[in-house]
This record gives sequence, C-alpha cells and structure tokens, in this order.
Amino acid sequence: MTARKSGSRLETEIERCRSEGQWDKIPELVRQLSAKLISNDDLGELLLGEAKLQQYLKENPIKQGSSPRGPRPRLQEVRKHLTAALDRGNLKPEYMQEASLIMAKLCYVEADYREALNQYSRVNLDEMQLVGAPVYRLSMIAEAYATKGLCLEKVPMASPSLSNSIADKDQEIITCYEKSGDIALLYLQEVEKALSAGIQNRSPKPGPVTQEQELGYFLETGLQRAHVIHFKNGNLTRGVGRFREILRAVETRTTQNLRMTIARQLAEILLRGMCEQSYWNPLEDPPNQSPLDDPLRHSPHTKDYALSRRPRIYSGENLFCPQENTEEALLLLLISESMANRDAVLSRIPEHNNDRIISLQSASLVYDLLTIALGRRGQYEMLSECLERAMKFAFEEFHLWFQLALSLMAAGKSARAVKVLKECIRLKPDDPTIPLLAVKLCIGNLHWLEEGERFAKIVIDMGEKAAEFRAKGYLAIGLVYSLKATDASLRGMQEEYQKKALSAFQRAQSLSPTDHLAVFYLALQLAISRQIPEALGYVRQALQLQGDDVHSLHLLALLLSAQKHYHDALNIIEMALSEYPENFILLFTKVKLETLCRGPEEALLSCKRMLQIWKSCYNLTNPSDSGRGSSLLDRAVADRRQLNAMTLPDFSDPETASHASSSLSGSEPVSPLFPLSSLYSPPPPKATESNQRRSSHAFCDHAPHRRFSSASNLPDAFFHGFDSFIGVCSVHATSIAASRVEQALSEVASSLQSSAPKQGPLHPWMTLAQIWLHAAEVYIGMGKAAEATACTQEAANLFPMSHNVLFMKGQVAELRGNVDEAKRWYEEALSISPTHVKTMQRLGLILHQLQRYSLAEKILRDAVQVNSTAHDVWNSLGEVLQAQGNDAAATECFLTALELEASCPILPFTIIPRTL
Amino acid sequence: MLAMDQGVVEEWLSEFKTLEETAVYNYAVSLKEKGSLVPALYKVIRENYSDLLEPVCHQLFEFYRSGEPRLQRFTLQFLPELVWSYLSVTAARDPHCSGCIEALLLGIYNLEIVDKDGQSKVLSFTIPSLSKPSVYHEPSSIGSLALTEGALANHGLSRVVYSGPHLQRETFTAQNRFEVLTFLLLCYNASLSYMSGSSLQSLCQLSSRVSICGYPRQQVRRYKGISSRLMVTSEFLVQLITGIHFALCNGEVDLGSKALDDVLYRAQLELFPEALLVGNAIKSSLHGASLKSNKEGTRSIQVEITPTASRISRNAVTSLSIRGHRWKRHDAVDLGSPDELTEIAEVDEGICTQASGAQSSPPTIVISSSAGGAAAGAGKLAGKGLRRLTGRSSKEKDKEKDAATGMDQLTRKQAAVRAMSENLELLSLKRLTLTASQSVPKSGSLSLSRTASAVFSRSFEQVSNVFSGNQPSSRASSPTSNHVAEQDEGVAYLDHISPAHQHRQRSPTISIHVTSDL
Repeated sequence: MTARKSGSRLETEIERCRSEGQWDKIPELVRQLSAKLISNDDLGELLLGEAKLQQYLKENPIKQGSSPRGPRPRLQEVRKHLTAALDRGNLKPEYMQEASLIMAKLCYVEADYREALNQYSRVNLDEMQLVGAPVYRLSMIAEAYATKGLCLEKVPMASPSLSNSIADKDQEIITCYEKSGDIALLYLQEVEKALSAGIQNRSPKPGPVTQEQELGYFLETGLQRAHVIHFKNGNLTRGVGRFREILRAVETRTTQNLRMTIARQLAEILLRGMCEQSYWNPLEDPPNQSPLDDPLRHSPHTKDYALSRRPRIYSGENLFCPQENTEEALLLLLISESMANRDAVLSRIPEHNNDRIISLQSASLVYDLLTIALGRRGQYEMLSECLERAMKFAFEEFHLWFQLALSLMAAGKSARAVKVLKECIRLKPDDPTIPLLAVKLCIGNLHWLEEGERFAKIVIDMGEKAAEFRAKGYLAIGLVYSLKATDASLRGMQEEYQKKALSAFQRAQSLSPTDHLAVFYLALQLAISRQIPEALGYVRQALQLQGDDVHSLHLLALLLSAQKHYHDALNIIEMALSEYPENFILLFTKVKLETLCRGPEEALLSCKRMLQIWKSCYNLTNPSDSGRGSSLLDRAVADRRQLNAMTLPDFSDPETASHASSSLSGSEPVSPLFPLSSLYSPPPPKATESNQRRSSHAFCDHAPHRRFSSASNLPDAFFHGFDSFIGVCSVHATSIAASRVEQALSEVASSLQSSAPKQGPLHPWMTLAQIWLHAAEVYIGMGKAAEATACTQEAANLFPMSHNVLFMKGQVAELRGNVDEAKRWYEEALSISPTHVKTMQRLGLILHQLQRYSLAEKILRDAVQVNSTAHDVWNSLGEVLQAQGNDAAATECFLTALELEASCPILPFTIIPRTL
Repeated sequence: MLAMDQGVVEEWLSEFKTLEETAVYNYAVSLKEKGSLVPALYKVIRENYSDLLEPVCHQLFEFYRSGEPRLQRFTLQFLPELVWSYLSVTAARDPHCSGCIEALLLGIYNLEIVDKDGQSKVLSFTIPSLSKPSVYHEPSSIGSLALTEGALANHGLSRVVYSGPHLQRETFTAQNRFEVLTFLLLCYNASLSYMSGSSLQSLCQLSSRVSICGYPRQQVRRYKGISSRLMVTSEFLVQLITGIHFALCNGEVDLGSKALDDVLYRAQLELFPEALLVGNAIKSSLHGASLKSNKEGTRSIQVEITPTASRISRNAVTSLSIRGHRWKRHDAVDLGSPDELTEIAEVDEGICTQASGAQSSPPTIVISSSAGGAAAGAGKLAGKGLRRLTGRSSKEKDKEKDAATGMDQLTRKQAAVRAMSENLELLSLKRLTLTASQSVPKSGSLSLSRTASAVFSRSFEQVSNVFSGNQPSSRASSPTSNHVAEQDEGVAYLDHISPAHQHRQRSPTISIHVTSDL
C-alpha cells in the first residue's frame, strides 16, 4: 500500500489511529488538529462523528442475525457531527465521500435503510479508489459494501412480480457482499503489514499491542454472508468458489479462526456433497452445469465484477493444487487440524470446562472428517498418526480413544492397539465389542494367549448384557484354549485345554446355531482331538450354513484323508479350488494328496501350476534373476513339458550343481529395483489372506491394503506358519522364538551374501519358498536327488536360514546317502527351531542308524512331548526302544503309533488358521 | 409386471438398437425425460424370472460400452440393485437365473479396470503434506509438525495407489467375488453426485439387507427375503458406508441412518476395524447436525455465519499458549530465544481466569496489594493476577480458602506491594514477566512452591480488607506453611491480566520478584 503523502505527523497519527481502531485517542488528536487550521474543523467534525459512532458500536455490538432497532439518543451527536461536516461542504472530495459513508452506516444502525441506500448511490461506491487508499479507507469501503448489501436485503422489492428483477437484486446483493469480503481481506492484510512495520519502526517500548483485532459486525457480514446466501439458494458451485477465494487469500491473525472454520466447512461439502466426477480443482473454472446445483435455479456461475485491488493470494511455483475432492478435503482438514491443535485447551480445572468442550467439539469434527477422507482411500497408517495427535483432546473421551485403537488395528500395529483397547475398556466397560477386538488381535500375530484369555473372560462375565456377542465371547475363549493346547508341552495340560476348548465351542454353538464359525471351530477342535466321525458331522453342518467357506472345505478334505478316503478328499479339494483358484493352502494340500493318489507326476504338475499362479499374482522380480529371465522359475514356468521330464543339465552333475547354484545366488543384484514406492500394489487375489474373513494364521493379519508392513510381524508369522505347511503340526510358542532367531540370522546372512534383498512385503517370497520346498519333497519321494537339490537351492536363495530349508537339505543328503551331512543339517535346523518335530524324528532315526540309542531315545521322547499325535515319531521311538531291548515300552509305542496313524490326516489339522 | 411397464421397456429396447452412432449423444440427453422407464427397469431387475431380464442386461451393457458418460451413468444407477440381486441369488444357491446379471457385472468390471489405451488402470492420489506450499497455505505459517517418522517419510508429496491394477475376470468365484464387487462400488461412488434418489435408496436397502440377513436383527427390521447369512468383507462395507454417507447428506435421511446402523451392527459382529472406524466417524460427525429431508432436487446445505473470534476464553491454557508458561522449576526458566518471546507476547496466553467467566467465582490467590498509599489503587486488581492452575476441584479450593491464614497473605502482600510499585507503569505484563524471570538468576528463586502455598480467598476485596486489617506483618514463617494441599505440578504462576479484558482496569503485574524476595 502506498501511504498517502501526509503533510504532518498529526495527520499520520490520525490515520494510524483510524486504521488501528483506536477511537479513544481521536478526540485528543482532533483538538490538536483544530488548533492548527480553521479549515480543519470540518475534518474534525468528521473524525469526531466517526469516532463516536465506532465507540458506540464497540459498546453495543450488533449481533449476527439481529436487526437494528431504531434511532438511539446517543447517536444524535454523531448525526450532528456528520451533518455539520457534510453540509458545510468544505471538505476535500475524499473526505466528503467518507462522511457520506459514515452517514450511511449511521442510517443503517438507526434502521433507516432507504436513506442509507440513497447515500450510497450518491457516493457511487464502485468508483471509489482502492489503489493508493489508506488502510482505514479500505475498511470503510468494505463496511460500506456490506452495509449496502444488508440494506438491500432489508428493503422490500418495489415490484416483486418480475422474477427477473428478483434475480437481479439477488445478484446485486451477492456482488455487494463478495466485494465487501474481498476488500475486507485486503484490508486485513494491509493492517497486518502496517502493524508489523510499525512494530519495527517504533521503539520497542512495551505498549499495548492489539493482538487480535475484532472484526466487527459489518466486516464479518461482508466476509461470510455471500456464501451463506449461495448455499441457501442451492448454488453449491458458487458457494464452493467463494470459500476457495477466501481460503486462497494469505492469512492474517484475524482471519485465522475464520479460515479454520471455512476450511472445515469446505471439507465437509467436498466429502458429503461431491464425488470424483463432479469435482473441479481450485484453479480452474467451475463447470457450467453441475449436478451439485439446484436445477431449478439458474444463476450465473461467474463473477461479474473485477476489483482494482485484490487481496494477496498464495502463489509461487510448484504450488500443490489438489486434483480430486479427497485430496482437497485432506489438505483442508490438515490445515484445519493444525489450527485446532493449537487451540487445544490443556488446563483441566473446572472453570475451563466450557472451553474444553468447545475445543474438543471442533477438533473432534475435524478428526472425524479426516477419518472419513482417509478411510475412503485406505490410508490407515496415516490416519493412526493423525489420531495420535488428537490425544491431546482425548482425556476421558471414549470416542477418540476408540477411533485411535481401530486405526492402529487397521494399520497393523497390533501391540499398541491392544494397549489402547485396554484404556477403552476402562472408559466403557459395558461394551462387549472392545474386548472382542482385543482378543482378535491377541490371537493373531501377537500370540498373547494369557491376555487373550483375560479379554475373553471379560466378555463372558458380562453374561446376558453382551446379547449377541455372548456366542462370540465363547468362541474367542475356545480359540484361546485351543491355541494353548497346541502350545502346551505336557500331555495332561494339553488334554485339559482341549476339553475346555471343546466345551466353549459347544456353548458358542448352542447360543448361536446359525453361526457357521462356531460349528466349524467345534469341528476343528474335534478333529484335533482325533474324534473324526463327530468332526465330520459338524463340518458338514457348517457347510450347510455356509457352502463356500474355504476353511470348512479344507477341513472336510483333511478329515476324509484321515479316514484314508484320499480320492474323495482330492475331489473336495478340487471343488474348493474351483471357487478359490489361487488359494495356496489348498494347493499345497492338493500336492500332497496327488502324491498319494495319482502319482508324483501329477503332483509336479500342480507345483508347476502353483509357480505360474504365483508369477501372475505377485508380479515381482525374483531376486536371483540375473536380469535375463533365465532363472529356474521362469524356465519352469515357460516350459511346457512336465517338470520331471525336464532335463536340468546344469544340475544333474553334482560338481556343476554347486557351481550353477552359486552362479544363481551370486548373480549380481541387477534385478531392476522394484520401486518400493507407492506404486507397488498389493497382489490382487491376496491369496489366502485378506479377503477371507479369517486371514491365514501363517500370513500377516487382516489388513489387505497395508503396504509397508512392519517387518517384524511377517517373518514371525511366516516361519512358524511355514512349519505347519511342511507338516509339523504345532504352532508353538517356541517356534515363534525360533522364527525370530531365523529372521535375525537371515538378515545377517543376506547382508553377507550378494543376493539382492527382497523388496516389499515378505509373504509372496515365503509362498514361493514353500512352493519350491514342496516340489523338493515330491522329488525326494521320487528319488531324484539332483532336482530336489535344485529346488531346495531356490528356496535357500530366498531364505537361507529357514529351518525348513535346512531340514530339506538334510533329507536330500539322506537320499544321497550322506548320513553325516544329513545329521549336520538336521542339527543346524534344530538349533534354529528346537521344536521342529519332523527334524527331530529324522535325526532320531539317523542316530538309531548310528546306534546311538540313548541320544536317539531322548530326542524322540522330546518330540513326542511337543506333539503327541505324531505317529511316525511314536513309531521311531518304538524302534529305538526295541533296539535297546525294552520290548514292553516298544510295544506300547507301536500300538500308539498304529492308533494315531489310523486317524492321521495328510497334513496336520493345525494348518487351518484359527482366528476370530 | 404390469403390461404398461413391459411396453415401456420393450420400447426402450427397440429404440436403442436402431440408433446410429451420431445420434447417441442426443439420445442420452433425452433419456432423462423418460420418467417411467427407470422404475420399470427396476421392476425387471427385481423379478429374477422375467424374460426381459436378459435383453435388458445386454442393453445396459451396450450402454456402458458405448463410452458416452450419460449412458454409463444410466447403467451405473442400477448397480446396487444388480448387486443385491446377484448376492441374494448366490446365497439361495440358485444356480440359474443370475447368469445375465453376473455377466453384466463382470462386463462392467472388465471395462472399468482398463483405461482408454487398454492398460491396466491404477487409481492413485496424492497425499497432501503441510510442509509443501499449496494454494491454501504456506508451510511457515502452520506450526511445526511433530518430528515423527511418519512426518519425515511424508515430507514431500507422495502418490499412493488405492486401487489396482486388477486382473480380468471371466467368472465369479468365491475368491474374487468381493474384489469385483468392491471395485464396482468404487466406480459407483465416483459418480454419486449424478445418481438419482431412487438409486441412493436402493443402495441403502442393499446395505441394510446384506448386513442383517441371517442375524437376529432381521427380525427387528422385518425383512422377509432370504434368511441365510451373506458373507461380506471389510472393504466392501467401507465402500457401502461411503455411499450411505452421501445418501444421508443428500436427502435420504431415514433410509440412510437405518442403513448406517445396520452396517455398523454387522461390522461389530464381524469385528472389522476399518468399517467400524469410518462408520463411527460418520455417525459422530453427523451427530450434532440436524439433517432434514429435502425435497428431491434441492441440495441446500446449512451454513451459518461463524464468529471470527475464537470462542475459547483467553485464560484457558492452550497448546499454543503453553509455550509461554513458566513451569515451577528450581533453576532459571529457559524461555528460548527472544523471538519466541516476542511471539509469546503476541499470543494470548495465560492463566488469568476471568472473574466473570466462571460460574463459581474462582478462587483467587490474591497477592494483592492494597497497602495504603500510592499502591492502593493499583493494587486493586493486582490480585486477580496470580492464579494457579491445578487439577483439583473447586471444592478443595474452597476448603483452602477457609483455611487461609492471614500470615501468608500478609507476607506476600507486602512483598507484592513492593514489587508492584516497581512495576506499576508496566502494562505489557507478559513481556515483562518473562523478561523479569529471565533476569532472575537467583537459584531457587523461582521456587514457586512458596507461592504455591499461597492462600485462596474468595474475592479480592475481602483480601484487601483483611490486609488492611492486619497491619503488622510477621514475615517469618510464611514460606513454610504450605496450606495448600494441592500439589503443584510445576504450574507456573503467571500473573497476567489481559489488557483487553473489559472488566479489569490496567493493572500492574506482580512479577515473580515477589518470591525471590521472600
């Protein structure tokens, strides 16, 4: 703003006072002024009149929505002053205009609208200069426009019959308000600039710094009424446009609160009233015909005026301009949130209660809208961070705590989520869903069974109050007991927990007979306890309730295999696969069954199919790919011949085998770095996880859109889940520890090796490793050592420290007859996972061969402790005992083995995930 | 189905077949005028066994394939009804009769997952970040963000994919069913503004039915269709909720709120955190707002003029103002850079509670002045100055008031008087207070524990009377007697009277010189 060249300091001072609203100083200054020149009397009258009017308005502020009432005695003086100033006509033209404006304002305050309008028409507002105007005059002009709009609204139409004129009048009113708003923004910016310049200029003596300027009724009206009218008329397009104009203006201290509110309101409209297709971005023109507007009203969509000066707007290069309604809503909400956060009332004394409630309400709304916007796009990680910031407001506020817990759960941060849920339970003890959510997390990756039991008991103790959740509570505690049974190392404890689990499941099923989950888990538990016929009955019931539940079908197949009806089982699996073509758990079972039923060639075909499916699902680069697409995977997939007929010239020769494998693993990490960035998308069918209600126990838990899963959860899940795939039935607590060891070791190993690190989440690679190991097993069954080595090597490239890989290497060595080497591998595998029963069994057998009977016996006894239903372990133990001469015990072992084998499924029942 | 409806539909079927390429656009525009067409089509879709179903589905697919946006939207409006039809048939395990609807749904899906060039479409969006300037803000003006890992990772704008790429699907299997349906709902939600009321109603009905069939609530809602449970996934529910939200705010209040309740009910039973999260947020955000059902076509939004001034009273300690607080410490308070000082000076910080604001007159620690003489007038309001923030209830404070001893008051007041006379002309309290505290190097001088033991009195006047009553001062034992049971958790005394506050006159500060002198 270019300051007017003022002659004297006094005039500057007067201008400053008028700009800053220090009306009480004016009379003094006027006295000084009139001492100077007689001709300044008129100016003095003008100033006095203005000062008195402003002070009156300060002491009797007009409230929004109320109308001025009528002439007031105090205002007589003002009128006297102003009339004096105007009538004498000695004032300079600008001051005459100012006097008229103030007069018009007075008329409005005294409810004389027509007179005010007359004044305005005399002055001709549109021609008042904005460029070079002093700051106070901008305020005056802004207020004048606003007042004019108010008067126009209050004056009834002369001839209401013509609809055109109504539309015109509306348009004029709106234009007045819009102009007023624009000029008000400009004024506020100028005032702030002047103030900050003033602070620097003046000596820093502590003077009262007007921190926040109160806007006053007229300026507020001017700023806000335009969009209120737009929305009332149903003209969303222009309303939104007006909001955007206000927001684009650079902020000042006074407008901060207004911006916060408007940002929030605009975000509301964007989320509630707009969709992606009806959006236009802030920098482009609004569409001519928008579904957002009331079709019955046709108002022009563009502004029909242009001011000579506009408020400053945010500008620059590379300004972020949102392209979507969600983006814009997010931006606005983030801005609003940061402002709301500043206003968080921290004090907790009761006299600030109202303030706390106010700040809580406004912040709460912002956070809710943020949740809606981010939830739409699945960005739960970011949402959990935002909601953490909300915790300032959240003391004893259940809603925010609960939302935080849910967002942590959705983002996969299970441990924190459980802790927050505990607090939620404390805040709302009667809600059964909260402990159930906690149990779900505990049973999942966390494997916190004690905690899970406690939470489940909370639900059960609620009794009838839990209503429909009672059954769920019993289901939850049943699952906890079932998992505890699997973990327990003493047989007595195992049985006790199994009994408890069974009774809980039965209770759940009786409470809610139409819930197929309860029936299914009952069947599963019966199966684990080897009560096969009852289990079959229940699983059929479950299938009647929900015909295409993948786990029920799988369980049915396993039960049939336990009854040795392998062909029936295979049929069921194939039926299930028709509904779930990319479900790897089913495919693994299929491979096993085919090995038994139809021969290993079929099984190998299935393996090949799995590789194909894997490749199409997870469009990732194999880390051992040297970039020429010549990896075994690609060749296997591309080759039309069956895998077993393929000659693998590189690998048939034992000397070159190691060389070739090292050439594969030692290949330079040329694999095109798969961008870890956001363009990575999670695999669509998400195989066994996500879209199923119960995510596979072996994989990460249920958030399908999680992009950067915390690395610590997955390997745990993988490694002990991997166990279950290869046939060890237990999902042991100790195996979780083992998995952590493996993860640590593999990190070290991969840093030493030159293989490229795997990108992105780990579970696709785990699946791939499992496929290779299955193929290796089939080859071992066929007696083809070289191919088995190749497959094992592929898996070893991915996870060199996995005990499953080591176990497989041991088996290959055994096949080749290298007993010592096999023993070494088994021992290595056991050092990583001491409770891997299969390894223990094979090691025991080797030791038996080597005639170290007592050691073999010890190892086999340990294995039996871990898993008392492993019939082959019992069998081996019997052999060892027999070799030692302990025939009675040996007989018992053999009998037990026979019994167990009679009801042994092809894969242990525990591979079926047990989640809530 | 009535013959009339049948006739309308058949006419519509034949019309489009004979249409030429160029006339498609005009035809699309003219579709709006056919009022009876849409309800007739709804009837066809609902009755699964109608023979018109197949040609209708085929025609709708042709509409979609034509690429004309209006025609596509025309097809999309039937999506909720089609989805319901498909799901209910699947649940009833009725193998036939849903074939054409399946084909239509899959056809739309396969068309939508590729863009114009035939490449797989990847839907992504940019997450805005406050650290980059935008059309609405400048990074410097927004306060510093917390330096979290997430904030650092998000520095700069990142484009995030939220859907895609998807594979082409030939048939529905149990595995891909909800993936396809969720994506279709995503497309539907992208065009919500163009959907008519009947479409939104159908969406609400779909949501309700999918959520409650087979559950005890079905009895409450009295829906007699299918009675077996329908499986749903969390993302599917989230998309449904998004649509319901729009419907709620654009005219379908009753149906919408019922649908939202039902979906939340189901999400609770299934323990889906994502659906619960978004559903709770919607419910809570609409809690205060009164939604009235508007007539069809009017979408007016209620907006009020909001006061620009902050409604939070100036005394309340906010996050912004707490920076300027001085905490009870035994060492000199570190107040940061001078820049911060000036900033703090501008910020309305403070602990000066209003005498008028609270319902009960707040207890005041009056370290007031009215020593006779010159300081008397100034002393009048000084007492309002020193306050203390505690977390205790006012009851306890009342007790304290009664237990006030004159002695403490006296000593403090005397000191206060002295201090006050020094500071009488200083009006900008905050600045002074801060500078004063900075210049107080005496260790332990800021032991506000002493001031912590100040006495409460109900009103300032009382105190001044008391004070004038007991002239002799025994200054001895004041620091020791800590009447106040409240533990002072390091809340500072900040005497502070906001100059703008109407009820006070300009009053002097009582700086913490007070305590240091004791």
